[in-house]
Amino acid sequence: MFLAIKEIKKEKLRYGLIILMIFLISYLIFILSSLAVGLASENTQAIETWNAKQVILNKNANVSMSQSVLTKTDLANVTMSKNEALLGQTPVVAKSKSKAQVSSQFIGVKKNQFIYQDQELIAGRKANSDHEVVVDQAFKVKGYHLGDQLKLNGSAQKYQIVGFARNAKINIAPIIYGTLPTWKKLRQGIPDLRASAIISRQANYRENHGNMKTYAINDFINKLPGYTAQNMTFQLMIGFLFVISLIIIAVFLYILTMQKMHNFAVMRAQGIPTSTLVKATVSQALILVGAGIVLGLAATFITAKLLPAAVPMSFTWQIIASGTVGLFLTGMIGSLIPIRSIIKVDPAKAIGE
Amino acid sequence: MTVIELKNVQKTYGKGAAEVQALKKINFKANLGEVVLIMGPSGAGKSTFLTIAGSLQRPSAGQVLIENQQVAELSNKETDALRLNKIGFVLQAYNLVPFLTVKEQFELVKRVKKQNNLDQQTLQKLLQKLGLTDLVNKYPSELSGGQQQRAAIARALYANPKILLADEPTASLDSENVTEVGQLFKDLAKDYNKAVILVTHDPRLEKYADQIFTMMDGEMIKKQ
Ligand SMILES: Nc1ncnc2c1ncn2[C@@H]1O[C@H](COP(=O)(O)OP(=O)(O)OP(=O)(O)O)[C@@H](O)[C@H]1O
Ligand SMILES: [Mg+2]
Repeated sequence: MFLAIKEIKKEKLRYGLIILMIFLISYLIFILSSLAVGLASENTQAIETWNAKQVILNKNANVSMSQSVLTKTDLANVTMSKNEALLGQTPVVAKSKSKAQVSSQFIGVKKNQFIYQDQELIAGRKANSDHEVVVDQAFKVKGYHLGDQLKLNGSAQKYQIVGFARNAKINIAPIIYGTLPTWKKLRQGIPDLRASAIISRQANYRENHGNMKTYAINDFINKLPGYTAQNMTFQLMIGFLFVISLIIIAVFLYILTMQKMHNFAVMRAQGIPTSTLVKATVSQALILVGAGIVLGLAATFITAKLLPAAVPMSFTWQIIASGTVGLFLTGMIGSLIPIRSIIKVDPAKAIGE
Repeated sequence: MTVIELKNVQKTYGKGAAEVQALKKINFKANLGEVVLIMGPSGAGKSTFLTIAGSLQRPSAGQVLIENQQVAELSNKETDALRLNKIGFVLQAYNLVPFLTVKEQFELVKRVKKQNNLDQQTLQKLLQKLGLTDLVNKYPSELSGGQQQRAAIARALYANPKILLADEPTASLDSENVTEVGQLFKDLAKDYNKAVILVTHDPRLEKYADQIFTMMDGEMIKKQ
């Protein structure tokens, strides 16, 4: 530690540049991971607020809730407890006078079922009639207010915003919560329409007769359009980033250590044991990586604060923990590579130079 | 009292046609309280002698004894400890850790060797004598060649070794400083009871020596 700190103190520019490099790498890793998680959660936020465990859809809907149709006949023999709720989903374009259009997902729910009852609002109240809706906070960001009248898909009927809901997004689109009759109206033309899906909070709930099929929530989420491809893309990017940063950090630490061989020879000649030099090298790497990570975290926090709300970024504890541990391991490995050279350093080289 | 002894020491570098016999059957002894000078032309084997005497390298044949202990019998760790405790090196160049101030050079030794270093008072006196008192917070790169040399001497002495080995200690000093450092080595040998072994080209140091050896083509001849 003594040698590590003294050396950084003396060679401020050199080590400053290395910290800068590690800072930039960690910043990039944190930002990318936060965006990945943020984007993934915009796909599933609403589903998480429902605490859904099982989703029952029409088996011919290719696991797509907005494509699924459950009719009166399908639901004839279904028994539902307080842990099941009917839900109708359809994509709509919402528009209010002099405000921007918002591509959203309309979700119709029943007042006496849990999705409606458990709604968490950040403002206003729940919808009481067919002509009232609760919308995701994204609408607020876009300049919509309580009391605004929304037209859905250019309908003549207007729907008043009476509340803003927290975390009401599905498939990266903000949700408009309304009633099932409204949903039926939006999906006009299908006879005996009842809902798109049954959502259950029970892991063992099954409903498979007729056209219905039960999907576990993770299977359902993975089938959300684009969800799996998007996550895999991010995972691959972050994975590559880690591998490349491992190589960069390792190469830098290696060059740094090799440049110090003469100093090591001098210290070895003085009788300073190899273990002291190895400890100094590893602790120095950890100090550099640690400083880089702290700066990276700080910059990510600031970025997350400054970014417009429209950018989905979710800087979670999991990202902080796994990114930090990953980078520290990277630094450790990087600093352990030149250790062989330190052990083999020839103190006789210190003389006759 | 004999503190270091080399018996029939040989050192061969390289193999086959590239083989160099840097040391041929060296026999050497130095006692506490004396200054020993090793002189000779370039390539004679002086530095090789110093590295082997200081246990930085092993001889190809023969024995090195420090306080009657065979160095060849020691483990690597014990050899480190031997160098740390009993041997002080003053090297010709780059002999200080570049990123430590003069004061921190002592601190490094103290961190590894916790006991039997010079006490504060003795260190201050030594620094005074070497004209380093005002330079303790400077880095080696901020010192002149002569100041670096003296700082290296102070560092070597701080660990309070029995044997002080120096390679060309006066190479970067002017005449006035040579006299001073020569006298200093003599005082160290006498007052602190150390064996001081100096490798040098510098005939100005001869008058401070108790023994003088000349090296030539790997052989050592005692002068006088
Ligand atoms: N590591 C080495 N490998 C091969 N040959 C070496 C090595 N070190 C020294 N030699 C050879 O051994 C001989 C003695 O070298 P040494 O460095 O001991 O001479 P020196 O007396 O210290 O010379 P100088 O006064 O120039 O410092 C030389 O011929 C040199 O080329
Ligand atoms: Mg030499």
